[in-house]
Amino acid sequence: MARETMLARTLVELADTLVADFDVVEALTLLTDRCVDVLDVGAAGLMLADADGELRVMASSSEAMRVLELFEVQNREGPCLDCFHTGQPVVNQDLADTTARWPRFSTEALAAGFQSVHALPMRLRGSVIGALNLFHVELGPMRPADVDAAQALADVATIAVLQHRAWREAQLLNEQLTNALNSRVVIEQAKGMVAEREGLAVDEAFNRLRNHARNHNLRLVDLARSIIDGGLPAEPLDPNPASGAT
Amino acid sequence: MIHGGGRRLRILARLAEGGDGATNHLCMVCAEVTGMTGAGIMLMSGDVHRGSVCTSSKVSDLIEQLQYSLGEGPCVDAYDCDRPVLEPDLVDASQRQWPAFAGPAIDAGVQAVFAFPLRVGAVRLGALNLHRDRVGPLTDEQHADALVMADVAAQAILVLQGGAPPGHLAAELEASADFQFEVHQAAGMVAAQLETSVAQALIRLRGHAFGHDRTLRDLAHDVVARKLRFEGPADENGP
Repeated sequence: MARETMLARTLVELADTLVADFDVVEALTLLTDRCVDVLDVGAAGLMLADADGELRVMASSSEAMRVLELFEVQNREGPCLDCFHTGQPVVNQDLADTTARWPRFSTEALAAGFQSVHALPMRLRGSVIGALNLFHVELGPMRPADVDAAQALADVATIAVLQHRAWREAQLLNEQLTNALNSRVVIEQAKGMVAEREGLAVDEAFNRLRNHARNHNLRLVDLARSIIDGGLPAEPLDPNPASGAT
Repeated sequence: MIHGGGRRLRILARLAEGGDGATNHLCMVCAEVTGMTGAGIMLMSGDVHRGSVCTSSKVSDLIEQLQYSLGEGPCVDAYDCDRPVLEPDLVDASQRQWPAFAGPAIDAGVQAVFAFPLRVGAVRLGALNLHRDRVGPLTDEQHADALVMADVAAQAILVLQGGAPPGHLAAELEASADFQFEVHQAAGMVAAQLETSVAQALIRLRGHAFGHDRTLRDLAHDVVARKLRFEGPADENGP
């Protein structure tokens, strides 16, 4: 397949993740694999910062790449880290010349058969969320068109990751809302049931429930649920607050 | 979810003006921005119809009550089908759908209804209902504004809940909402009266409301006020 076609297809596939729920790791692994084909690099890898701002390896196109990425993170040294911290691209770094900049990383990367490295920021407006690593086995600079294409891929991946996080948060909040409403419904039902059984106004029934729950160290919602599910508890509900547990 | 920045900003700015943080302001702005007679937001959570988050007028409130009682209507369809439901002529539409909902709504002066799903990504929260007291479709502008309003409202609901203590409903959500708590109290009372489950009690309440042309809310109010008791199996005339 022509390179441009594959680049376009990759961009579309990534953008597609914006409209449906997707597996982040799967999408990012796809990205790194396609980088190797589209950009003519030896290996590609991707790191994202976690909630504490620590970089984590998310995807790698080969085992050798994964090992090198982990090495960068553990030794706090390498193109991905520089890129992440500055938010700027790190391009065309010949590993023979970077021994001062990245002493340990350069040795490891050369030993693994790579000759030059690049890293592109994953950023949206002011926020840098990670970096895309590209390693070459040949010497020579990356073509500007390839650098642009790589940045475009990183940009779409950034949007996809941020979108996914927003949706996950929405899911969590919706679960909280559902749970809160479910608890409330059960409590209201129990209020009605107790009001009817004990001949009380609904507000008084609520006081009885609350006092009983407190005196017996129960959560109100649990007491309410047990009343709805199985009728009243064995002893009648305490009419008074703080009547002391047995 | 990519919208023209200008439209969204304009709507957010309008929301920020006035209002006390509670959601009735949200509904007022929904109606105003789209040039409708009224707006209401139906909440679905855990796939259960919970009631309304807010309504901007008595008629909007009636629309939400009818849908809650009858389980049919524009918001219900918009949520179920996950797409806008547009009826610019409710009298004409009543020949084809919502046999129980349309009549009372038309009697209350509703001539057009437009419902938009509330969604944040894959999370579906309910629907925004817009109604008008005259026949006619939404303009393209109004339609675009409604889509942005639905998006903003969905996010607002979740953000509000995010501020609540764990396990509790956000106070700002509860303040203007009608989550039909009296209906659940009534279900508890009727379950005790009939010595049956609350689920069965709710079915009896729904049946009675439908048979007597009342909203569930009104019926529940009478039950809780002890103006109406349920005894024995359901029969044609009694509860």
